Amino acid sequence: MSEMGSVDDIKVEDLNLWYGEKQALYNVSMKIPKNSVTALIGPSGCGKSTFLRCINRMNDLIKGCRIEGKIHIDNKNIYDRDVDVVELRKNVGMVFQKPNPFPMSIYDNIAYGPKIHNVKKNEIAPIVEEALKGAALWKEVSDRMDTSALDLSGGQQQRLCIARTMAVKPEIILFDEPCSALDPISTNKIEDLILELKKDYTIVIVTHNMQQAARISDYTAYFLLGELIEFGETKQIFENPQEKSTEDYITGRFG
Amino acid sequence: MVHRRYKEKGIETVFFVTAAITVLALLFICLFLFRDGYLLFETSSFIDFITGDAWYPTSTPARFGLLPLLFGSLLVTAGAIFISVPLGVAAAIYISELSSPRVSDFLKPFIEILAGIPSVVYGFFGLVVLVPLIKELLGLPTGQTALAGSIMLSMMALPTIISISEDAISAVPLSLKEGSLALGGTQWQTIYKVVLPAALSGISAAVILGIGRAIGETMTVLMVTGNTAVIPGFPEGILDPVRTMTATIALEMGEVPQGSEHYHALFAVGSVLFITTFIINLIADKIKKKYKLKEGL
Repeated sequence: MSEMGSVDDIKVEDLNLWYGEKQALYNVSMKIPKNSVTALIGPSGCGKSTFLRCINRMNDLIKGCRIEGKIHIDNKNIYDRDVDVVELRKNVGMVFQKPNPFPMSIYDNIAYGPKIHNVKKNEIAPIVEEALKGAALWKEVSDRMDTSALDLSGGQQQRLCIARTMAVKPEIILFDEPCSALDPISTNKIEDLILELKKDYTIVIVTHNMQQAARISDYTAYFLLGELIEFGETKQIFENPQEKSTEDYITGRFG
Repeated sequence: MVHRRYKEKGIETVFFVTAAITVLALLFICLFLFRDGYLLFETSSFIDFITGDAWYPTSTPARFGLLPLLFGSLLVTAGAIFISVPLGVAAAIYISELSSPRVSDFLKPFIEILAGIPSVVYGFFGLVVLVPLIKELLGLPTGQTALAGSIMLSMMALPTIISISEDAISAVPLSLKEGSLALGGTQWQTIYKVVLPAALSGISAAVILGIGRAIGETMTVLMVTGNTAVIPGFPEGILDPVRTMTATIALEMGEVPQGSEHYHALFAVGSVLFITTFIINLIADKIKKKYKLKEGL
C-alpha cells in the first residue's frame, strides 16, 4: 500500500455543486494519490456518485447543474475555461453502474474509443487485444470477437466496459458502483481486476458495499448529505474512525 | 350483485361489437375490392394487366396496362423518400438530441399541425406556388411533374418520419450516450456512431410508414403531377408529368359505367395499391416489434 502523502493525482479544493436551487455537495476537499484505489462510501443520496461524476465532468450533461471550486488533475484545474472536455474524458475513464456495452460486436465496442480518437487502423487490433487481456476477458471472447456484445453475461459485459475504457489509455478510471448489478462471482472477478489495475491507473470507486470498500481500497472517503465527513487510509477509517457518524455507518447502525 | 354482473357483461359486449365492426369493415373492403378487381380478368388477361405498358382505357380496344401507373407511383414516392428521409431524420436528431427543451416544445406542435393539414390544401399550395416555381427555375414546358408530387409528398410524410424517428432516438438509453461521452466521444460522434445505429430499426419503421403515407396519397399528387399515363424514365422522368395509381382511380372512377371493363380495371388497380400499402405496413410493424424486443434487453 502506498503511503499517504505520495504523489497526488487528483486534488479537489472546496468543491460545491448545485442541482438547480438544491445544493448537493458542500466544500469537498481531498487529495487522491496516484496508483491507488480510493473508495467513496456513504448512504444513498449522500453525493458520492455526484462527486465521482465531477471528476470527468459528466455532470456537465445535467441541465441546471452548477459547480464551484477546483479539481486539479496533473496540476491543471479541469474546470478552467480552456479545458477540452473531450481530452479530459479520454484521460479520466468511467465505468458505470449498469454495464452499458454498445449494441455492436465485441471488437467494435473496444475499437470504438481508439477509432473516435483517430488511432490508425492497423494499430487498433493490438490495442483491442491488449485491453481485453487487461480486463481478463480475452480468453473468454477471443474466438467470438464478431458476435454482439449484448450476448455476453452481465459480468462479462462489465469487464468489456472496463476493457473499452482501458483502450483509450486513461490515467484515471472512475467506477460508479460497478458491481451493483452483478452476481457474487462476477463481483469477485471485477474486484480482482481492480486490484490488478491500480498498478497502472488511479482508481476511484463508488460502492454501497462496505466489505468491498474494505477489501479493495487503499483510501476511503465517507460522505454524508453532500459533505465529506472523513477521508483517510481504509484501514484507519474502518478500524479507528475519527467521526462518530463514520463509525455508525460502517458498523451498520444506519445507511 | 347480479345486476352489476349483467352491467359489466353488457359493457364488455358493446366494446366487443365496436372492435368487431372495424375488423368487419376491413374485411368487406377487401372482399369488394378484390372481387370487383378480379372481374377484369374475365375479359382481359392478368398478364396483360400486370405487364402492360399502356393505359388507354377509352381507346378501342381499350388497354389496361398497370405499369405506367405503378411506375408513376413508385417514382413520385422514391423522390419523396429521397427528400423527406434526410430532412426528417435530421429534424428528429435536432429535436431529440440537440435543441433545448424550450425549442423542441415550440417545434413539436408545428410538426403535428403539418400532419393535420388537409391534402387538398397541400395540393392547392403545390399548384399555385410550387408548380410555377419548378417551371420557371428549371425551364420546363410544364411544372406539373413527378418532382412537384415528390416535394409535396415529402412535406406530407415529414411529420410521420420526424415523430416516429424522434421516439426511436429518444428511446436510446442515456447509458449508451454516457458510455460514448465518457470515452471522450464528442456529441456528434456519439449521435452518429452510437445513437443513430441503436435507433436504426425505429428510424427504418418511420421511413417505411412515411412511404406508406406517400404511396397512398391521392389528392395532392393528382393536383400537381400532370397525370400523363406514360412509363416515366428513371431518373430523368422526375421532370416529366406522371400519373399515379391513386390519381387514376380518383380521376376516372366518376366517369365509368358501373360494371364495365374499365370499372373493373380501376378496382384491379385499387387492389394493387391496397396490397402494396398492406405489405408496407406489415414490414413497418415487423421492424417496430423487433426494435421493441431489442429495447427490452
